[in-house]
Amino acid sequence: MSKMSVIDVKNVNFIYGKKTPYEVHALQNISLSIKENCVTGIIGHTGSGKSTLIQMFNGITKPDSGSIFVDGVDIWEKPKEISKIRFKVGMVMQYPEYQLFADTVWDDIAYGPKNMGIPEDEIKERVETAAAFCGIDSEIMTKSPFDLSGGQKRRVALAGIMAMRPSVLVLDEPAAGLDPRGRREILGGICKYQKESGTAVVIVSHSMEDMAKYCDELFVLAKGKLILQGNCKEVFSEGELLRSAGLDVPEIYGVVRAMRHKGVDISKYIYTVNGAVDAIAELLEGGVR
Amino acid sequence: MALDITLGQYYGTGSVIHKLDPRAKLLFVLFFIVSIFVAKDIYAFGLLAIVVILSLIVSKVPIRLVLKGLKPLVFIIIFTSVLNIFLSRGEELLFTKEIIPGFWTVNLYKEGLINAGLLAMRIIILLMGTSVYFSYATTPIELTDGLERGLGFLKKIKVPVHEFAMMMTIALRFIPTLVDETSKIMNAQKARGADFSSGGLIKRAKALIPIIIPLFVSSFRRAEELATAMECRCYHGGNGRTRMNVLKMKFRDYVFIILSMAMLAGVILVNIYANGFKLM
Ligand SMILES: Nc1ncnc2c1ncn2[C@@H]1O[C@H](COP(=O)(O)OP(=O)(O)O)[C@@H](O)[C@H]1O
Ligand SMILES: [Mg+2]
Repeated sequence: MSKMSVIDVKNVNFIYGKKTPYEVHALQNISLSIKENCVTGIIGHTGSGKSTLIQMFNGITKPDSGSIFVDGVDIWEKPKEISKIRFKVGMVMQYPEYQLFADTVWDDIAYGPKNMGIPEDEIKERVETAAAFCGIDSEIMTKSPFDLSGGQKRRVALAGIMAMRPSVLVLDEPAAGLDPRGRREILGGICKYQKESGTAVVIVSHSMEDMAKYCDELFVLAKGKLILQGNCKEVFSEGELLRSAGLDVPEIYGVVRAMRHKGVDISKYIYTVNGAVDAIAELLEGGVR
Repeated sequence: MALDITLGQYYGTGSVIHKLDPRAKLLFVLFFIVSIFVAKDIYAFGLLAIVVILSLIVSKVPIRLVLKGLKPLVFIIIFTSVLNIFLSRGEELLFTKEIIPGFWTVNLYKEGLINAGLLAMRIIILLMGTSVYFSYATTPIELTDGLERGLGFLKKIKVPVHEFAMMMTIALRFIPTLVDETSKIMNAQKARGADFSSGGLIKRAKALIPIIIPLFVSSFRRAEELATAMECRCYHGGNGRTRMNVLKMKFRDYVFIILSMAMLAGVILVNIYANGFKLM
């Protein structure tokens, strides 16, 4: 069970607008580690510091104090080589469709690998594999990225990072603004990619339902502090704490809580609809009532 | 990397200066600028410095913030002053040296030093004074509103004052948005291994393409959305448009304008006395 960690965050603090009247202490003494070969979720209300935190993973922002280790190496030890970290830790920013720029979808996906100085034939192979993972049809590849739908653009942007084959893939709200089907497809695709490639994946979201479905490990942020961590069971059993952090606990949790309130002997570690159905069926067959 | 723009940032404290009518503030700045160019000696500048310091105290804008806004311009101020030292001619020669014999001699005059000092003072007072009234204590919207109303008489000779004011308002409104977006896109491309700081000129220019194109695309999208939104609200230019906040000059605005005139008169008087009745 004990997995190696790929990213270690140690006592990190970050303040926006230091020494101005608009100071925001966006991260307060955060320590956590991201494990290899699993999907880690970072949840928090809007403004809780999720984006700020993950932008430290690849050195886009530098912590005011504390350190970030990737594969056990402090990334700010040699600030000149920070760009190498960016190939190791792939980052898909929020609304990545706005970063597309090339003439064709193919060229856009190939931009990252080209910057890495990879030979042409390998770039071709990488671009095609990444496109396939993200469900991009081959006839789209020669189109302009600006002619695609919103959901398609999002996938192209995602493929552009996947093609760099980072050892950690970090995604900031990958499903934001998509319809339920789009959410399912993109999150499902990411999880499939994780299973097949074995890379570590970090997903940032404020949707508890999505996180319950796809994540193995969870970290909960509130107002720049890490308030909770553990697997889904451990985290969702803390319904009150989550609610006070401004998060929507999965609705089924409310049902289960109400049942426990009424004296029904049902486990508090239930956070999916299917899980609840099974537990209730068991209770009914057991003839408790 | 955070793009840091302090110049042009409203700092609300609710002070009297914040509450003044923007037209009164525009008039003040007009008088202030004229005063600065009329001012000739240390006494006149002293008077203007007192005006700036008083304004800072009354407006409750922290002086640290204003000084931080000056920081990007320090180089320009020093550069022009130093240039002034060496290019001025005067009577009292302090120092001379032939750098390239028969071709370039550096002469340092007492007057040059004094001029350079005054020039630096002039720039600093100008920047501090105008930024307190124009950016820290007045929102861009109020400012353009004041301009539109103040210059309203030009409409009679068919100058599209309202349209210009609207364009200015929109441009000002979108500056922070664009700065924000530029830094987001830069970060996104850095995450894909873009390198903006190495290589020759051509390589660097090429590296900017992945930033400029998305920026243009989203600016056009934004412009189109804004136009649609304005049309949906039946915007059709200035004719017949009424306002939610109608500017109205109050007693304190007139007092303030009179004080501004007194400042200009004061500077002229100081000039006359100190320079023995020589005007300008
Ligand atoms: N560029 C910035 N300048 C100043 N404050 C910022 C900036 N970016 C974020 N913040 C502030 O930092 C806090 C955390 O923001 P962020 O990390 O974006 O939160 P999240 O991604 O969880 O919504 C918020 O209070 C936000 O207002
Ligand atoms: Mg965010």
